[in-house]
Amino acid sequence: MNHEENDLISRCQQGDQDALKEIFNLYQKKVYRIAYGVVRQREEAFDIVQEVFIKLFRSIQNFKGKSHFYTYLYRMAMNTAIDHTRKMKKSPAISLNEDGSFEPSDGVEKRPDSLLLDKELEERVKQALEKLPVDQKAAFIFREVEGLSYGEIAEAMGCSIGTVMSRLHYGRKRMQEFLKDYIRLGGGK
Amino acid sequence: MKDSCSSVSKLLEKYFDHEATEEERSFVEAHLPGCPNCQDALNMMAGLRDMMKNPVEEAVEKEDFPWVWQKIERGIRLEEKPPWWESLRSWLDISFLLKRRVWIPAVATIAILILIVAPILFKKTPSYSGPSVVEYIESQNYNVMIYESEKAKVTVIWLFEGPEQEVPSS
Repeated sequence: MNHEENDLISRCQQGDQDALKEIFNLYQKKVYRIAYGVVRQREEAFDIVQEVFIKLFRSIQNFKGKSHFYTYLYRMAMNTAIDHTRKMKKSPAISLNEDGSFEPSDGVEKRPDSLLLDKELEERVKQALEKLPVDQKAAFIFREVEGLSYGEIAEAMGCSIGTVMSRLHYGRKRMQEFLKDYIRLGGGK
Repeated sequence: MKDSCSSVSKLLEKYFDHEATEEERSFVEAHLPGCPNCQDALNMMAGLRDMMKNPVEEAVEKEDFPWVWQKIERGIRLEEKPPWWESLRSWLDISFLLKRRVWIPAVATIAILILIVAPILFKKTPSYSGPSVVEYIESQNYNVMIYESEKAKVTVIWLFEGPEQEVPSS
């Protein structure tokens, strides 16, 4: 943690909203990435970003500097995003029919085929993520979306590197099973 | 699958995540060219990562964040606003008046106003309501009407001249 960030955090701990704004400018995209990575939906991701920074302002007193600030913030973002998916589980905006085909909910504009396919793919990813146990999901998103190292994930999740590797391994396996028909081997778009 | 596959597969994820040591990396890279299974496993991981990451990166690129900050500011303001029962309690709380002694001139003013206004408001006007007796007595020369109020102990007597005698015209 550099001196400038330290200063921002202590100002924020004293209730300085300008300091929070600077922290927001530094981390907004990273928090959004985590939120979007979990919920796969723009508006929900923004709701989560908003909630995370309000929570941060309220609870930053609890940050004692024992870990990196960003891992503290990432953990908060991940927990908020996972809580959000639990709340939203009962009211999905986009649904899959019984036969598994995709159909936009009422009021959703019809898209060209390619966009519809992207939407369907995203919906599949979202459903697959929902089936993962919370710890595996968190490790998987931290690694695959945010690109954190094993050490950083361990710090954010408060566990050992071995545990991170295990969660990541099983998370990947499950995701591959759920999405095997959709994964383009070798990556690239 | 080759014999070394099982030992490489344990390292494959570390290799893919750039967490392998120099020695482990060399070991995996020596194995990969001749092993389609391990290549497939690696490709599968790369495909999954792209599937997870690319839509997120595209979404981040498109976004503009200042309006989110405005919503955060509004959210913080709303949290700072006390609930209605707190507002009511503080509105009713007059302890600050007692502390600051601003109540002395206020109370004095109110007392003076009461002293001035009260006599006007509560001034008694005589009223003779209640049971009363009215008598009317006719006589040849005078008529008398007596009014007696029991409650106020007042007696009023009217004396009227008698009716003028009609003089017959001649």
